[in-house]
Formats: sequence, C-alpha cells, structure tokens
Amino acid sequence: MMDSVMGRAGGILTRRRFFEQLAAVGGVSLAMAGMDALGFGFASASELPPTLTGGGKGAKVIILGAGLAGLTAAYELGKSGYNVQVLEARSFAGGRAQTARKGFVDTDLMGNRQECDFDEGEYINIGPWRIPYHHQSTLHYVKKFGVQLELFNNDNDAAYVYFEKGKGPLAGKPVRKGQIAADARGYTAELMAKVASKGDLDAVLSPGDRETFIAYLVNEGRLKRSDLSYKGTDGRGFDVLPGAGIDPGPGKESAPYAFTDVLNSKAWQVLNSVAGWEQQRTMLEPVGGMDAIPRGFVKNIPDGVIKYNALVDRIQQNPKGVKVSYTDAAGKKAELEGDYIICTIPLSVLKNIRMDVSKPFLEAMNNVAYAPVNKIGLQMKTRFWEEKHWIYGGHIYNDIPGIGTISLPSTNWHGKKGTLLGYYAFGGEAAKISALPPAERAKFAVAQGQKIFPEYAENFETSFSKSWHLDPHSLGGWAEWSDDGRKTAYPVLCEPDGRIYLSGEHLSYLGGWQAGAIESAWQQIAKLHQRVQQA
Amino acid sequence: MRSVMGAALVFLAVAGSAVAADTGQSLYNDNCSACHQKTGLGVKGAFPALAGDKLVKGPAPLLVTTVLNGRGGMPAFKSDLTDAQLAQVLTYIRAAWGNKAAPVTGADIAAGRRKTSAVAQPKNLQAH
Repeated sequence: MMDSVMGRAGGILTRRRFFEQLAAVGGVSLAMAGMDALGFGFASASELPPTLTGGGKGAKVIILGAGLAGLTAAYELGKSGYNVQVLEARSFAGGRAQTARKGFVDTDLMGNRQECDFDEGEYINIGPWRIPYHHQSTLHYVKKFGVQLELFNNDNDAAYVYFEKGKGPLAGKPVRKGQIAADARGYTAELMAKVASKGDLDAVLSPGDRETFIAYLVNEGRLKRSDLSYKGTDGRGFDVLPGAGIDPGPGKESAPYAFTDVLNSKAWQVLNSVAGWEQQRTMLEPVGGMDAIPRGFVKNIPDGVIKYNALVDRIQQNPKGVKVSYTDAAGKKAELEGDYIICTIPLSVLKNIRMDVSKPFLEAMNNVAYAPVNKIGLQMKTRFWEEKHWIYGGHIYNDIPGIGTISLPSTNWHGKKGTLLGYYAFGGEAAKISALPPAERAKFAVAQGQKIFPEYAENFETSFSKSWHLDPHSLGGWAEWSDDGRKTAYPVLCEPDGRIYLSGEHLSYLGGWQAGAIESAWQQIAKLHQRVQQA
Repeated sequence: MRSVMGAALVFLAVAGSAVAADTGQSLYNDNCSACHQKTGLGVKGAFPALAGDKLVKGPAPLLVTTVLNGRGGMPAFKSDLTDAQLAQVLTYIRAAWGNKAAPVTGADIAAGRRKTSAVAQPKNLQAH
C-alpha cells in the first residue's frame, strides 16, 4: 500500500508528492490523516497566509499599529487590492520586534532616556529574539523577504546552571548542565534498573518488557551493563582531556557528583525529557538582529502606507464606516475615515483609548493581564564565555531573583567583543528591577553575573535595558490569559465588533511570539475578506 | 501529582513566613512602585493612581482577586507573593496616601484564591 502510493520525483520520494498521491487516492481527509500519522500534523492554516481572491473591491482598511500583526495585515491586504493605511505610534515599524544597536533611543514612562552606545556590530534583541523551527508563519516572511538566518543555540549542555537557593556543595556554584543531566538521569536509571531487575516492578512489567525496560535504562542512564550501576560517563566531561599519544592519551574522565548533592542542588529544574513545544532546541534568528523582519515588511509595503508618530486618540464606528482620530508627529490632530479597522494595539494600551464597541467587548478587553518583562544587553570587552569557558551560546539558568536567565549570543562567534543578555525576567521580579534607573539596573545585572563568571565585571563596558511594562506603546511584554479569560473574554475579542477587528499575539495561543501576531492577522484578514466579498 | 503539588505549596508557605523582615511598604516598593509609583499616584494614561482609588478602598474581595489574577494590563501576582505578603501589601495600600480602609488578612487572600482558583504556579525557566 505504502509503496504504491508513495510518490517519487525522479526516483526520489518527496513528502509533498506522497501527500498529493494520498489525496488523489483517498481525498484530502486521507492525506491529512496521513500527515497526522507521520507526525507532520501541522495545519496548513499556520503555514501560509490566506488567499484573498476577488480583490478588495475598493474597501479602505485602517490598520492601527505597525507591529508584526499590523505589518502582516497591511502587506497581505495591500497586495490583494485593498486600500490600506497604517497608523503607528512609534517612529519605526516592528512593534515589540526591536533591536537595540548604536544610536537606538528608548524613553520609558518614568522618563529614563537611553541611547544605545554599543560598538558597531554589537546589538541586543530587546523584544523577540528566537524563532522555533515550527513557527512556519514567521519563517514564511523571513524567506519571502530574503532575511538571512542563523542557528540560535537554545540548549547548551556546556552552559552553567547556578542555583543558589539549593542546598549542599553544589548550591550557589556554577555547574555545567550536562553534568547535572548525566548524574541526575544516570542515578535515576540505576535505581529503576536495579528495582526492575529484582522483579519489584513485575506488577506493571511483563517478563519480556522487564528486560527491554532494563535495556532502555542502561542506554538512557549510560549504566554499566554488568551491575547496572552509574559511575559517570564521558559525556559529563573530563578532568584530563583525551588527546594525542600516551600523555594525555585517553585522558581522565570526571567523577560524578553524589546523587544527594545533585538532588539538593535543585539544579535538576533545568532537566526535562523533551524540550517544551515552544522551547525547541533548534531555534533560528535573523543575522544582525530581529528587526530585519519588520524591515523586510516595510521594504515591501508601498511608501506612505505607514504613517509614523501617529498616536491614536479615539476610535469611532457606525453602520456605514469607521473614523480614527489621532495626533500626528507635529502634534496636530488629524482624522482618517475608512470602511474597517484592524486594531493591533495591545489591550493594555487600547483600554486607555476611547473606542465605540459594545459593553461586553470592553469588559472582555479588561479581562487580560500583561506581563512585566525586563531585558538587558551587556556589552563585554571579550567573549570570555567562549574563550575561557568554551560555552558557545545557550542559557545560564539560575534562581537569582530578578535575573531569570543570562543568555550568551549565538552570533559573531570568536568576535572581538560580544553582547550577552544579562537578565530576562518576568512578573514581580521584573517590576522590582525596572524601578531602578538604567545605570543601577546594569550594576545589579553585572554584580549577579559575577557570581557565575569571574571575568564578568572586568569585561563589562556598557548596557542597554528595556522594561516592556514601562513602554508607553506596549505596557507589558505580552498578554497573560487566565484559564477563565480564555474561556470568557478571548472568544469575544476574536470576533469583530461591528467594523473593528482586533489582532495581535494577544489573540492567539502563541502568545508573546511573532508567529502569534502573524497568524492572528491571517485569521482576521481572512474573515474581513470574506465579508467584503459578500457585501 | 496532587500530593506533590500539595508539598510544594507547603514549602512555599514556609518559605514565605521566613521572609518576616518584609513590611507592607517594602513589598509595595519592590513589587508595585515601578508602575504605581512610590507616591501611589500612578502614571497618567498608563497606570492608575492607588491614592484615593475606589477599588483600593472598596470591599477587600474584589481588590484581592484583582491582585491575584491581574486585570487590564496589570500582571497576576498569585505566583509571586505568598498570602501573608499579599495581605501585608494590600493592608499597606489601604492605609497609605490618605486611604483609610480596613486591613486585609491572609484568610482574605486564601478565600480569593479559592474563589478564583488562583493557585500559585511553579515558575517557568523560560518564556518566548
């Protein structure tokens, strides 16, 4: 059966031809079932934008916000013959997809003005910074606009973990993640294997399964087959590295930590059987900064479509059309009329703008919280993490309040300098650090990083910090839906209120990701288009 | 699983009581003042003033569930602070800047958690 339907292109099977042939034989449903069976079950809706056949019929759409959702809507609708106009509060496009590099200016609600003074070529993605391989919607535009990608190291066994709230000799000590993984899983496998071999798990394992289970544990924990013990393994590193000749020759493998020390360290918090769906080990990033994606959109949207420095004051609608009042760059009041609105303004900001929508819609908007989120880029004189510690990208997981993760750049390997992410923290911890002026935030970040790398403070040159909850145009990093809000408010906001359609990461289950913004825009413009075609 | 979660909550509660040095004011300064300001006056158009605010001075249950679950741009604090800490900070804002409302107790917070299933979640190492 498989052979007869498997498509071959010049003798080579391609996935697409395989599914096309399945579709030809059994219809689309069989093809979809086949995709699911093979684990390719990604619905096509999240891979490609909707096809807007039939054109815009002269409809004028006002798009509020030139972040990823607004840019997607403007690009797709404009391309399909709609009359689009975008109002953007900032002086640039991209929304939260911002990259701080030399000359980038940010002023927060507290009046902290920062002008980035990194060296040429150094940068920090203060908003989105990594793209899981399965975010095909984001990658669709990356490809379309010719944005160059590089690998983002999202999991590095050589990176340190540092848990100061643990107990025992490993607490408050930088330890390589691979060592914690080898020991925690090795000892656990040893325990299970020994219990199983005594027959103590026979209630749940058939005799055949028992042997296979033990074989799995030997493999998983790198146990000695003879006595099912864990005595360390080469993967956790060497005290003397193997090399040439007799000396160092085979080298000397490192000894495992005691199981109790590993458990008490709490460092096992970094271990999971498999990466979370959103935290794939394989991630990607645009070369030179995430803002390459919005810049790709802007290059492909006609000049004049996006009006910058336009602050929306009032959003009106009636059965015949919509009207947006805004303040332009010169401080002058202006108005824009149209047929529909796609509003991508974060709900945290939108709730402060008067808008003609129903009461349930307004109440739903108030039902979502936004996350305080902090990031700081620290420019370092040398790449000591690579040179001295052999850590090429990845994260330093830790439990230092206010730090979250420290992350090492996946770009410009072996460059002269480097810019690392000194903290990436959320919630109350982020709120606390954001109350400090920028110089104090940097001082805090450097002092904490020094606990992990002895070279940290002496290499620190300059910083750029961002607190998203203090950004007047974002007022938070991303929407944080409660289970209750998802049930009650979310469905209300996903549907248009009259002629107003909301869109953005907040109206997706990919919250906080660019893919959420893009796919939300795809969904809303498809709905809008259907309505225009029927009008 | 359930019993493990229970154990984790007990641990959190113990850890919370160990932070006895916190006062309502220090908790406020650390967790709230970045937005609502130490003056309690907020930032116009972004973060509401707490001084003289109806919600702050009103019945405790609504204030408690708002702080536990967040609302309209404000984050949820259900996982960041213990019941005792939340009671301290809410008692503080109900008596500061000329506000005059009854103290909030740990029992009030616990009731709010029960009513809205606002259980503290373990912290994620990563997001986005």
